[in-house]
Amino acid sequence: MDLNSTLIAAHDHGDKRALVELYDKAARDTDDIDHACFLTTQAYIFALDCNHPLRHALHAFLVKHGREE
Amino acid sequence: MSDLLSSVRQPVTTANGLPNAHYIDPKTYEEERQAVLFASWAGLAVAADVPEKGDAVPIDFAGMPLLLIRDRDGDVRVFQNTCRHRGMILVEEPRKIEGAIRCPYHSWCYSTKGDLVSTPHVGGPGQNTHPDVKRADLGLIEIKSHVWRDVVWINVDGKAPEFVDAMSGPIARWAEFDKPLYHGGDDSKFTLSVKSNWKLAVENYCESYHLPWVHPGLNSYSRLEDHYNIEEYGHYSGQGTLVYRQLKSDKGAMFPDFEGLSEKWDTAAEYLAVYPNVLLGVHRDHGFAIILKPEGPEATSEHIHLYYPVADTDAELRAKNAELWKVVFEEDIFVVEGMQRGRHGVNFDGGRFSPAMDGPTHCFHDWVAGRVQTYRSAAQAAE
Repeated sequence: MDLNSTLIAAHDHGDKRALVELYDKAARDTDDIDHACFLTTQAYIFALDCNHPLRHALHAFLVKHGREE
Repeated sequence: MSDLLSSVRQPVTTANGLPNAHYIDPKTYEEERQAVLFASWAGLAVAADVPEKGDAVPIDFAGMPLLLIRDRDGDVRVFQNTCRHRGMILVEEPRKIEGAIRCPYHSWCYSTKGDLVSTPHVGGPGQNTHPDVKRADLGLIEIKSHVWRDVVWINVDGKAPEFVDAMSGPIARWAEFDKPLYHGGDDSKFTLSVKSNWKLAVENYCESYHLPWVHPGLNSYSRLEDHYNIEEYGHYSGQGTLVYRQLKSDKGAMFPDFEGLSEKWDTAAEYLAVYPNVLLGVHRDHGFAIILKPEGPEATSEHIHLYYPVADTDAELRAKNAELWKVVFEEDIFVVEGMQRGRHGVNFDGGRFSPAMDGPTHCFHDWVAGRVQTYRSAAQAAE
């Protein structure tokens, strides 16, 4: 299953932890910083929702790029 | 209309009860929602409904969507269950908030303390801030709340005096019972739905006049003459008994007592209607709280919770006690529903009170009428 299909499946199942990790992976796989910030935002929001330990690192990335307080 | 309320506010010997409109008219219901339910300290739920950090329960209170939550520090809070962005309902079902409260629409996120912590893509894709969207100004709207006797009381309009001042009468009266309360658990709570305006449940609860007729089972040990009225005009009312008898199991076991009670409570028990919508009872060995949740002009749900002096009580005895109270409260349903239907009699004038027996009920009518009069005066002054 490709990443997009895996993401949709995680959305369908409400699997927030998987969404954090899949969006984070997608962000790491792109060279486009704007797209990376979009994907990291998705990961960060689901991390906030489920209290995922990655939330701090995701937040730091967004702050570093001027995308989050 | 105001003349009718003036007649309610006469002495009990000559007063009439509240007019029919206060029980059946949607416009008067809406008016009382503001004047009575939202302008005072009303009961919303019990803290035991959210026992653990992150527990969240959405509650519709007289048509207003609220969110009861125990925050990450363990404090009970009440928020308007509405996102500050597009007004979406935030939490649809009771659940545990693991991290943030995330709006299911555009995913604005709030902490369990109500702070707005993230606004994804608010400044465009991947840009989560915007200079005109100030998070500090956009936290969840918090409703003033206070926990007493495990009841979560709320003041929706935020203008009532502080809870401890507004409720100083009942708090002082029952100071001896200001002890830790332990909810009996799932076997010690039940809900009754009644086809009646919420006020009729208050009115029936706070007088003992009906006991020999509606609860004949109590006659054997709790005679009408063993009861006394509690009437604190402008504040609260209820009834007390001098002959409370403790429940015993088949093996003779009883619940333990609350510590440090004076001798009076060896055989006394009291039942207060704490206006507007909370009914409380205290006994030497247990207490209860009933939250009357208005579900419209002619519908109410009664949420009953039983409490004990210690966390670990005998399950069989607890179940027996819950069943005993359930029978008593179910016996009251036909009268509150009957009074509700009776108020569709267009010539009913609010009724006359027994000067000797109905004081606690009149006390409540007088309080409601006073609140509505004050509200109408303020509305007229604003016009």
